[in-house]
Amino acid sequence: MKRQLVRIALRHLGRHPWQVGLAVLGIALGVAVAVSIDLANQSARRAFSLATEAVTGRATHQIVGGPSGLPDDLYRALKVDLGARLAAPVLSGDVAAADRPGRTFTVLGIDPFSEAPFRPYLGEERGAVTSGAPGEATGERRPPPPRDRLSTVAALVTRPGAVLIARGTARDLGLAVGDRLAVRAAGVPRELTVVGLLDPGDPASARALDGLLVTDIASAQAIFGAPGRLARIDLIVADDAAGRALLDRIRRALPPGAEVVASGVRAGSTAQMIRAFQWNLTALSLLALVVGMFLIYQTMTFSVVQRRPLIGSLRAIGVTRAEIFALVMGEAALIGVVGTVAGLALGWALARGLLGLVTRTINDLYFVLSVRDVTLEPLALAKGVLLGVGATLAAALAPALEATGAPPRVVMSRGALETGARRLVPRVTGVGVGLLAVGAIILALPGGIVSGFAGLFVLMVGCALVAPASALGLLRLLDPATSAAFGILGRLATRGIVAALSRTSVAIAALMIAVSAAIGVGIMIASFREAVVGWLEGTLRADIYVSAPSLVGNRPDATLDPALVSRLGATPGVARVGTSRGVVVPGPGGPVQVVALDVDPARPPRWRFRDGSAAAVWADDGDTVIVSEPYANRRGARVGQAVRLRTDRGERDFPVGGVFYDYGSSAGVVVMSRRTYDRFWDDRRVSGVAIEAAPGVDLPRLMAALRERAGGGQEVVVRSNRALREASLEIFDRTFAITSVLRTLTVAVAFIGMLAALLALQLERAREIAVLRTLGLTPRQVWGLVTAETGLMGLLAGVLAVPGGLLLAGILVFVVNRRSFGWTMPIDPSPAILLQGVALSVLAAVLAGLYPAWRMARALPADALRDE
Amino acid sequence: MPGPAVELIHVRKTYREGESERVVLDDVSVTIEPGQIAVLVGRSGSGKSTLLNLIAGIDRPTAGRIVVDGIDLTALDEDARTRFRRRRIGFVFQFFNLIPLLTIEENLLLPLELNGVTAAAGLARARGLLERVGLGGRGGSLPDRLSGGEQQRVAIARALVHDPALILADEPTGTLDAETATAVLALLDGLAREAGKTVVMVTHSREVVGVADRIFSVQRGGLVAQSTGAGPSERGGG
Repeated sequence: MKRQLVRIALRHLGRHPWQVGLAVLGIALGVAVAVSIDLANQSARRAFSLATEAVTGRATHQIVGGPSGLPDDLYRALKVDLGARLAAPVLSGDVAAADRPGRTFTVLGIDPFSEAPFRPYLGEERGAVTSGAPGEATGERRPPPPRDRLSTVAALVTRPGAVLIARGTARDLGLAVGDRLAVRAAGVPRELTVVGLLDPGDPASARALDGLLVTDIASAQAIFGAPGRLARIDLIVADDAAGRALLDRIRRALPPGAEVVASGVRAGSTAQMIRAFQWNLTALSLLALVVGMFLIYQTMTFSVVQRRPLIGSLRAIGVTRAEIFALVMGEAALIGVVGTVAGLALGWALARGLLGLVTRTINDLYFVLSVRDVTLEPLALAKGVLLGVGATLAAALAPALEATGAPPRVVMSRGALETGARRLVPRVTGVGVGLLAVGAIILALPGGIVSGFAGLFVLMVGCALVAPASALGLLRLLDPATSAAFGILGRLATRGIVAALSRTSVAIAALMIAVSAAIGVGIMIASFREAVVGWLEGTLRADIYVSAPSLVGNRPDATLDPALVSRLGATPGVARVGTSRGVVVPGPGGPVQVVALDVDPARPPRWRFRDGSAAAVWADDGDTVIVSEPYANRRGARVGQAVRLRTDRGERDFPVGGVFYDYGSSAGVVVMSRRTYDRFWDDRRVSGVAIEAAPGVDLPRLMAALRERAGGGQEVVVRSNRALREASLEIFDRTFAITSVLRTLTVAVAFIGMLAALLALQLERAREIAVLRTLGLTPRQVWGLVTAETGLMGLLAGVLAVPGGLLLAGILVFVVNRRSFGWTMPIDPSPAILLQGVALSVLAAVLAGLYPAWRMARALPADALRDE
Repeated sequence: MPGPAVELIHVRKTYREGESERVVLDDVSVTIEPGQIAVLVGRSGSGKSTLLNLIAGIDRPTAGRIVVDGIDLTALDEDARTRFRRRRIGFVFQFFNLIPLLTIEENLLLPLELNGVTAAAGLARARGLLERVGLGGRGGSLPDRLSGGEQQRVAIARALVHDPALILADEPTGTLDAETATAVLALLDGLAREAGKTVVMVTHSREVVGVADRIFSVQRGGLVAQSTGAGPSERGGG
């Protein structure tokens, strides 16, 4: 570009710091939201895969058992009888640090002599086990002499509770070799001793080992109270004829309930669910960027309009269309780059805050994850740059083409622009209606989460394009009312919006999208919460619940000591005890969460059924089960069909008696009676106890008595029906905390858009306002006029956001939720949420209008008139 | 005996331009009697429009007093000056400055409404004035549908509609062709004299000088009474 044109562009930007600043802020916020979610997601995902890899290692296959795992004889038989040379037993589980609230570890019980090929950080290839003399400091690193390594392994095998811990983790916790570490496994206190430090060879391994405690298999059996049991046996089997033959031999020798699966199958299904959750966050974060694009479009349009005489003059003296185009796009690119760079920095800072929320939700719902640092992923940053600069250039394209398209004399005069804008309304509306139809078709077709969100985005853009015509229609309806109420000033307010349609409609559309998102997500969450409350009421029918502390919010992975269950049942004041057992059992389609309930047939859980009922489950001596809606949706299960599960008696089909609405697990559950479970599985453990108090018994006193009976051994959680309900809803609310943050950020971007639009209009209308002031409008009346106008814009955006929000809520509930998590719920469009949305819209607009209104009211009319 | 319509007493107006101060008006004192048409002439940038803005109360003097219709504008705050202006002053601009969002009729109703006259009550007066300026029947049109001369006629009607004591006109014929300018000027002159209004007008135009009772030249920040014009009051007319 010519040097003088560059100078023009730079000086123009320099003279409008407010305008440029707001555009930069809008893009920065949009990029920051998208990048932060991406970084937080990727960090969590990376931590998940590293954690999985740390536990799974290089195994090609795994032998897994039913709820009670595998007998450790099987390992011996594999090695000795079947010749599986590369096999390693594993018993792993999660424990909580007793004296560091919130800190969790994964205990990996292994056989140190079989480990080297599986998890190399325990061998010599990538890292090393550093032994230690007691009290060895954790700061320095030195290669361990072989004899030391041998003594560490010996200590691991011979000392009960001996563990290895990564040097970095030990340093964080202030632990040295020889120190003791108190933990709780399913509430049972255990004491571990650090006998050595793991020195991973590279940062990736270091991250994988963070939060891992490696111990001998025998110690792990003691920690988890599973003597003689293994969680699984890892195998490395060559992918050749000999390997396949070995796998066949192994399969034939397996006890009922056990199976050989390819590595990663189990982690894969959890990863898939986490991905669904993260997709939802990504989509919401992109919405902020879309709203930011409106802001850029607005800024660049205004920048062109503002310089119409200049652009006209430049064209008249021979500057080509291409050069004008480059001038406008160059300015946009500069704003885009500055905004994007600021957005990346802001995004990184924001990601550190959001990471906690993302990880907490993953911990609540899926998997124990320890992520403490945001990893600066180059890919996420590159995507941020592409999004920020790309969105800016895309948004600036239309104004740049407008500026170059017209002949020199009439380049974007305000009148020409507004006439053009009004003429465009029917066409834009037509495109909007078309997009609404396309979006509806995309959503109607079968597909996954991505196509669900694609349909949703197309629909939202359609809504935005229909907004100007709808706003014009509403203004026409409002005009008589505002005239009657406020006279000519009222008329001025409504007509002011129509007169500057090219700007006001963009601001209205941007605010409408943001408020639609707020309403839609709000209705979805409220409907969901309502459904969960109903579900909890139907599920929690006992007075008191006792369970072992679990590290994953919704997964009853810990069990209660059977003796304790009997003791609790014998407590005076207890009328009846019901038990539940939650386990994950293998099935042909992957692992299945099974819940076995011992319930009083007279008082079964009152679940809502989509199809069928549970009558046969509780009353019958057969083996009927019911499945949750997510299970039915994910696996295509129907009433009358059967669910195939691998039991301790081999594979069995369980007829499905009903499909019930359940919000406890997005993986889906199969519910059966305890009687059925006991018939097919050799597992008598109990995950939780539901206690009904005898009539007239004081509940707090009974709870105190239960706690007293449980004291001294396993730590248990004794909660009243109400407390458990509240705890469940707390998890629910925590899950949506991040959604609320994203919603707020999107509204913030729209707010900036509105502020930018109003400041731009203020500059344009300076003379008009000066004339009104000369005619006798007081500063306060000017303030009132501008505020009424902005309030009206907010009202329009709010009113239009109601159908938009309802549409969004419908899509979120019936398409996105179903495809992401497998559940549906009745939609509950509470008028309060709709009104809140409209109020939010008016408030955002009025707040955005305060400063421009103040400036307009304060301006001296003589200054504006002098510019004539 | 009523007092002067406009009285400027030692008025000084300066603007800051970076570090320095530019003096636009310096120690200006003048008195304009009720019913007179006073014309301010001078070169571009001499301070004519600034003087007009000071009399209208839309700008404040750096020093001195401005008394209009017996009220000392310099003693009033912004709000009070605005209320005074809406009641007592009518303004005609060079670029008409009709409110583009309002119809012709609504442009006339606006000053009435600001003075508390209801639309129903003001409509007859607005329509009557539109008839007088030759635009009866065009009340429902938006300003951009009118020619420059027509718009200025509406602006004159708007300046008179709320019956102010003082009409201020800033280059009212500056953008019009000679023939239209003459017609617009005649209209302003006729209506103002008929209603006994005081008019202060800024102009470059020789035709305007012809209707003036008094002519002042703004030169080097001062006001020089050039001559008594040949306006109808001097000629014994209206």
